[in-house]
Amino acid sequence: MTEPLLELRELKTHFFTDDGVVRAVDGVSFALYAGETLAVVGESGSGKSVTSLSVLRLVASPPGRIVGGSIRFRGRDLLALAEAEMRAIRGKEISMIFQEPMTSLNPVYTCGEQIMEVIELHEGLGRAAARVRAIEMLRHVGISSPEQRVDEYPHQMSGGMRQRVMIAMALACKPSVLIADEPTTALDVTIQAQILELLQKLRRELGMAVLLITHDLGVVAETADRVAVMYAGQVVEYCGVREAFRSTRHPYTAGLLASLPRLGDEHQRLRVIPGNVPNPVRFPAGCRFHPRCPIAVERCRSEVPALRDVGGGHLARCFRAEEIASGAVDPVAGEGAPRG
Amino acid sequence: MADALLQVRDLRKHFPIRRGLWSRVAGHVRAVDGVSFDLMAGETLGLVGESGCGKTTTGRCLLRLIEPTSGTVRFDGRDVTALRPRELRSLRREMQIVFQDPYSSLNPRLTIGSMLAEPLAIHGLARGANARERVAELLTLVGMSPDHARRYPHEFSGGQRQRLGIARALAVKPRLLVLDEPVSALDVSIQAQIVNLLRDLQRELSLTYLFVAHDLSVVEHVSTRVAVMYLGRIVELAPRETLYRDPRHPYTRSLLSAVPVPDPDRRAQRIVLTGDVPSPAKPPSGCRFHPRCPLAAERGELARCSSDDPTLREVAPGHWVACHFA
Ligand SMILES: Nc1ncnc2c1ncn2[C@@H]1O[C@H](COP(=O)(O)OP(=O)(O)OP(=O)(O)O)[C@@H](O)[C@H]1O
Ligand SMILES: Nc1ncnc2c1ncn2[C@@H]1O[C@H](COP(=O)(O)OP(=O)(O)O)[C@@H](O)[C@H]1O
Ligand code: SF4
Ligand code: SF4
Ligand SMILES: [Mg+2]
Ligand SMILES: [Mg+2]
Repeated sequence: MTEPLLELRELKTHFFTDDGVVRAVDGVSFALYAGETLAVVGESGSGKSVTSLSVLRLVASPPGRIVGGSIRFRGRDLLALAEAEMRAIRGKEISMIFQEPMTSLNPVYTCGEQIMEVIELHEGLGRAAARVRAIEMLRHVGISSPEQRVDEYPHQMSGGMRQRVMIAMALACKPSVLIADEPTTALDVTIQAQILELLQKLRRELGMAVLLITHDLGVVAETADRVAVMYAGQVVEYCGVREAFRSTRHPYTAGLLASLPRLGDEHQRLRVIPGNVPNPVRFPAGCRFHPRCPIAVERCRSEVPALRDVGGGHLARCFRAEEIASGAVDPVAGEGAPRG
Repeated sequence: MADALLQVRDLRKHFPIRRGLWSRVAGHVRAVDGVSFDLMAGETLGLVGESGCGKTTTGRCLLRLIEPTSGTVRFDGRDVTALRPRELRSLRREMQIVFQDPYSSLNPRLTIGSMLAEPLAIHGLARGANARERVAELLTLVGMSPDHARRYPHEFSGGQRQRLGIARALAVKPRLLVLDEPVSALDVSIQAQIVNLLRDLQRELSLTYLFVAHDLSVVEHVSTRVAVMYLGRIVELAPRETLYRDPRHPYTRSLLSAVPVPDPDRRAQRIVLTGDVPSPAKPPSGCRFHPRCPLAAERGELARCSSDDPTLREVAPGHWVACHFA
């Protein structure tokens, strides 16, 4: 295969707080190839946002610090770059859009001014040319009458329009990587459908790679080429989208899929993953999923499983992945599920 | 058919818009604008729709947590909208609400035990040892341990707090629960636990639910019937299977088609709506959905749809639709 555009190896980002060390990202590895959509999926607190902020080196410090691992972009180690070099990459080669467009757009500037600022900074265009480009970008992301909208403030727009403005801003310099952190979580489904469709269209047109962060497995199934499933600060499964849904090799992924109510299913009890998401200050020893895992064995309590190839480039962090693959154990049924 | 436990007729709630504290009313947000439905004893009616369409406002009006502008709500034959404060208290024994956000809805300064004992004391149901016994029973009922009574809300996770919110609502043995997005703030793996718990409780305690949510797959899973709201109105109401297999309102159709399916081999055929939900302060003329409606455009009926407001009518037994062309 060709070289990946972006590659994370054993990335560790910790927060040093009064309550102890929060190991938000604690050994994350994945690769993103040109033109593909890689979905990073996991529950809240699993470390998705901190992973994406780490790639752009935007983690608040203190209390946060990248304490280990590497991030390579086009062969360069981003962690070794000077801040000035990093600034030239942010927004130009790697851009990011956030979950809540209201908090990431500046309320005192018009939408146009915010897009123009990015263009002026990275492309050295003058005001007039930048404005023309900003209007063009707004039209591109489906905002009607962009000549008027360009002078409006974020609060004058709906949530869906603000997210379009964020996308216009992120794509203004035609980056090769777009990181979209829960870009549709705050939006209604009909608006979500519009935004996801827009992202797919722009990805094809601009040939960029998208790192899509989400907790919605429906969104993953519809948009991703590949999937990295995160649990407790680590990637526990990494594979193609069909493999993730059809030949799941990790009990956590399997449990998540089984617990979804689906359109068209009957009035049965849902399968559940027992217990709660662990506290990142005190992750369980051994396999971090073992207290909730229906098929945990003695070894899982003390030994740490590595993320490894369990066949055909499908990576999983589980001692029993081969048994799951052969059908020798059912990663969901395991023991009888407790009440509720 | 079973009797309606709750009858809602032409319910409206208009919030005044003021520019400043002392200025005159500049208009009204028509948050709920003519909602009617029946809730049958023992059923779960799902109420879905996009943000701001009036789901929460409807739920709160039913319990008179906010005062409706007009319309009637009958609970077991009694007119809720006409009750005086003292009578309202006895109503609250029968109807309770569970809120969306398990983080802000529990008082951080009360232990779980005091929080659960409070409604028992207010309604004169149990005190002292009896109350402690009932608290233990409630905790067990929602899948927690009686030992948790001594702890404070911050010591619990989101899913556990939602269990506590449910226990608090159940303390007075209500017959009807308004569940306002009870699982929306929870992680996927925890949502299923709460959905199952609600289902078990409904069977055990013969509860009736109004289940407000925007997640259409969760609503399909839990509901007996489903009502779809758009801009303060119900646009379609039908038994669950009918609504999901044979939706007649163009809004319901596009809403259902917009739900991403967790199956990479079934990437959905979308009816992508253009535009945003209009403001409930200035709802469009005629059919409120007409500026976004693919059907009105396709049939060349924009003239009629923009002037003529469709009423909610029964197009098949139990299947109600507000569209001229259902
Ligand atoms: N106290 C209030 N004053 C003014 N407007 C209000 C008030 N409460 C609600 N509204 C408005 O009424 C409309 C309906 O709000 P409501 O909270 O019922 O919507 P909802 O369907 O529950 O939405 P969501 O899915 O976001 O919870 C919205 O436009 C909202 O902004
Ligand atoms: N500034 C911070 N200080 C301390 N802890 C933090 C900070 N930012 C994030 N965390 C913690 O890091 C963990 C991962 O967070 P995050 O990446 O935001 O999760 P996700 O995006 O997957 O929901 C969480 O436990 C979170 O509380
Ligand atoms: S390593 Fe053990 S505990 Fe961890 S997921 Fe696999 S079987 Fe479960
Ligand atoms: S009445 Fe007209 S605008 Fe309204 S839903 Fe039906 S076709 Fe669409
Ligand atoms: Mg996040
Ligand atoms: Mg609401």
